[in-house]
Amino acid sequence: MAANPMHQFTVYKIGPKIEIMGIDLSFTNASLFMLISAVLILLLLTFGTNEKKLIPSKVQLLSETLYNFIAKMISDTAGKKAKPYFPFIFSLFVFILFCNMLGMLPYSFTVTSHIIVTLTFALFIFIGVTIVGFTIHGFKYLKIFVPSGVPIVLLPIISIIEIISYLSRPVSLSVRLFANMMAGHTMLKVFGGFVISLGLIGGWLPLTFSVALTGLEILVAFLQAYVFAILTCIYLNDALNLHH
Amino acid sequence: MSDLNNFKTRLKIAKSKLDERNLSKNSEKSIFLGNAFKLGTELIAAVAVGTIIGFILDSWFDTKPILIIIFFLFGAVAGIWNVIKAAKRMQKN
Repeated sequence: MAANPMHQFTVYKIGPKIEIMGIDLSFTNASLFMLISAVLILLLLTFGTNEKKLIPSKVQLLSETLYNFIAKMISDTAGKKAKPYFPFIFSLFVFILFCNMLGMLPYSFTVTSHIIVTLTFALFIFIGVTIVGFTIHGFKYLKIFVPSGVPIVLLPIISIIEIISYLSRPVSLSVRLFANMMAGHTMLKVFGGFVISLGLIGGWLPLTFSVALTGLEILVAFLQAYVFAILTCIYLNDALNLHH
Repeated sequence: MSDLNNFKTRLKIAKSKLDERNLSKNSEKSIFLGNAFKLGTELIAAVAVGTIIGFILDSWFDTKPILIIIFFLFGAVAGIWNVIKAAKRMQKN
């Protein structure tokens, strides 16, 4: 069991089985870790904004930095028009970040290492952005599939390519996060297994690797949340400011 | 107000201690790493989507394997186009 590097990704039920209309809605370890990250975010932001001091406490500083970071990212990539979407992007980023970081703790479960979770995020963003584009521009939004300055002969081919490129957005968004988290955690487990099997004599080398990999994984955990949020901003920017 | 002045001097001292060059270098490096991750999946995803569309259309029209080949190529072109767009965006920043 301990030697299997994929064992850490098993989803199992906690508590009784709940079934509503043929859909299994049981509480699993994945739901538990989503709940824990949501509660942690809530606690951090509640305590962070509780006392508004001029010289901030550490918790207040953390939540203010987080706010500024996202606000700057949105204004840099999507401009002023994207400001109403700040709550969505902020919660998305913080939730993914907390899920990734919680996964770095030993014996914990990484929610984002399951493609169903990341694909749900990505499809939600994809459909949401498409709806935003259509409500703002109407049928003119279809212009993003028709780049300007293309000869009529090439237009059908270019349009097909643009449509495929548009449809590939949720795929690349979800696969990137899922693959990075799963590959990283598998690698950590494999090197951890080497430490045990090589014992006291040869185990030091994989142990050093493990330490280095843990550092890298923490960087990746942050980076993937960042990339996910910034790509959401870029897609939103394409939908808000039509310029093709 | 003395509280604020005190804080300002402390901030100044803390800032002078920070090796700013090193700090910006590190954050730049991680942005490059993020971009590298981005480009790889951007290319693969479009190829996958193109192939899947080709596969579905093939089973609709019963024209195996013509459309899957055509749409695989379209997907590859779309993937490269994605990468070019992403690279252009990176250059702008």
